[in-house]
Amino acid sequence: MELLALGCSYRNTAVEVREQLAFTDEQAGRALERLASELGYEAVILSTCNRVELYLARSGPCPLGGDLTRFLADFHGLSLDRVRPHVYAYRQLDAVRHLFRVSASLDSMLIGEGQIAGQVKKAYEKALALGVTGPVLNVLFMQARKVARRVRTETGISQGHVSVSSAAVDYVREVFDHFSDKTVLVIGAGKMGELTLKHLAAQRPARILVTNRSPDKAYAVAAGCGGEAVAWDRLDEVLAQAHIVLSTTGAPEPIVTRERYLKIPRRHTVAILDIAVPRDFDPRIHDGDQTFLFNIDDLMKVREATLARRRDHIAPAESIVEAEAQKFVKDIARRRVGPVIDRLTKSLEEKRREIVTKLFLRLNGKLSDGDKQYIEGAFSLLQNQFLHGPIRALNDETAVTTGARHTLLEAMRKLFHLPE
Amino acid sequence: MEAGYLFLVGPFAYTKLGKRANADTMDRITIFCFVASYTLALMLELLHSWRGLIAARIGALLSGLAGLVAHTLFLYSKQPPLIWQFSWLLFVAWVLVVAYLTGAIHYRRLTWGIFVLPLVLALVGLAVLFGQPPERGLWTTYETHTLWGPVHATLLLLASVGVCVGFLASIMYLFQAHRLRTKATPGTGLRMLSLEKLEEMNRRAIWAAFPLLSAGMIAGVVLLSRSEVVSWTDPRVLSTVVLWLLFAVVLFLRIASFLRARQVAMLTIVAFLLLLCSLVLSHNQPTGG
Repeated sequence: MELLALGCSYRNTAVEVREQLAFTDEQAGRALERLASELGYEAVILSTCNRVELYLARSGPCPLGGDLTRFLADFHGLSLDRVRPHVYAYRQLDAVRHLFRVSASLDSMLIGEGQIAGQVKKAYEKALALGVTGPVLNVLFMQARKVARRVRTETGISQGHVSVSSAAVDYVREVFDHFSDKTVLVIGAGKMGELTLKHLAAQRPARILVTNRSPDKAYAVAAGCGGEAVAWDRLDEVLAQAHIVLSTTGAPEPIVTRERYLKIPRRHTVAILDIAVPRDFDPRIHDGDQTFLFNIDDLMKVREATLARRRDHIAPAESIVEAEAQKFVKDIARRRVGPVIDRLTKSLEEKRREIVTKLFLRLNGKLSDGDKQYIEGAFSLLQNQFLHGPIRALNDETAVTTGARHTLLEAMRKLFHLPE
Repeated sequence: MEAGYLFLVGPFAYTKLGKRANADTMDRITIFCFVASYTLALMLELLHSWRGLIAARIGALLSGLAGLVAHTLFLYSKQPPLIWQFSWLLFVAWVLVVAYLTGAIHYRRLTWGIFVLPLVLALVGLAVLFGQPPERGLWTTYETHTLWGPVHATLLLLASVGVCVGFLASIMYLFQAHRLRTKATPGTGLRMLSLEKLEEMNRRAIWAAFPLLSAGMIAGVVLLSRSEVVSWTDPRVLSTVVLWLLFAVVLFLRIASFLRARQVAMLTIVAFLLLLCSLVLSHNQPTGG
């Protein structure tokens, strides 16, 4: 049985090429069917914004890359020379290790991100639904999920938030406990703030107020989050009411200076998320008492700190992946050897019984029950001693053979005339 | 007098005094037993915060629970009267340990014990410094021989629990505010409740403590008017009056919204220190004003 992982990722391929090699849902379906029907592979295609990978298995030998790279190029209508420099290929243990690393998010751009495990699962389920997976890929992808889960629970690789929007909400949650009585004020309609606003809206605040120099944009943002548009000239008034402020304008100068802010009457704590560049709020208004101001640099620091903490968990996560990959390959190899040993044992057993039966017929009446028992035992012992060497050699070779070719296994089949 | 005594021992007087099962075992439980358990729990809480070991947190809870059992059995077997500092402090510490275990289970991911357990240990340590009360037969003061004494002591004790909780909430508030002022990464270091929650905890503690303190003061006035031993200028009386005034001012300013949460937290810490002063001033005398 041959196992192959082939593709390209953000590590070695520019986004322009990845875009050309990416599979849409419909394309992935067609490609899977061709791989299965024309080339006889069990196949799964993983196509995300950061990687395009084919996971393949079949009982005969797999060509390492060449034909499949051509398949990839042909499928997307690209020249082989355009695709070939970007494609990597892993076989057997390396392929297993690669999939486990991908699933556990050790090969991701943001180490420990949780999205990839879901994408791997989705890719497998699509192939499963099309009936192009088989005994090897079914077990492999099931195991990949388990390994990803194990890495997530046994290491801190996925702890903390790496997105600016999540970090922003984390800060707000350090200040406020509940949101049902809070007013969120959104200043501006920048793209950067969309996701943060979505996260804040998910906390179900009492009110969301949106203000913008352009009333149309304010209405559009307010409509998108179930908020209320407010005229730009009422900014000071709504700033006095707001508990949480999200500012994302593209203004070249700070909108709220310290002097302006201090003039606003306020009696409650305020958390301000200023994710605009240049900043909208004068940083001096952060007093750590009633006003807590977090700007884009603070949020990026959270992201960097989280990634740094996650990097500390890479080594233990890699150890888990390596151990699981080795175990998987050995298990697969044992599955190949097991039936051969079984058939070999049964074949010799049949022959032994045949010989012993003939012998007893020939010596009929001359042997006591004790003699018969002794002869049967002796032949069994001979059979076991005869099988001991080959079985041990097969098992030993299985333990060290991670490549596809199991020469001893083939030799045994030929020597003992065992079927495939 | 017997009725008064039963009232003094409060929740530990539900069984007949002479019928204590396993009296020998009970007598072997000493303050060291629960102090050691609480210390171990604190160390395990620190280890949990430092290394994030779940086993350390479980160990801390079990250790705290073992300490609470020993603490309860100690109070049950000794049945110390609440009007003495020793028993009063041990009872407040007992309530705080219950609060620690409840909080640690309810807010599993938060750092809670690291703030509560040192206060518990400090209160027990102070109780040991004050020493055990004299034998019951030696109580001679008027406060111990009337119902007003125990009422006064019990009300002040419950108010003190409120002050202690307010103190803890204030310390945690200031710590969390410092974290946010320095923009510490969320989810790192000691995990705390939100500022809003801590402020609310402090507010509730003050609101609960003030009426109890006021009622305790009224009982104290009655007691004082009949006492020949304690005068109006006694430091215990004065410190309790100052404590009550401080609470009244905090509440007024709070209601009028003149005070920021940070200032309320600082004043609550001052109130707690006044409470300690009141205790020290009444050293070797029955508690209360």
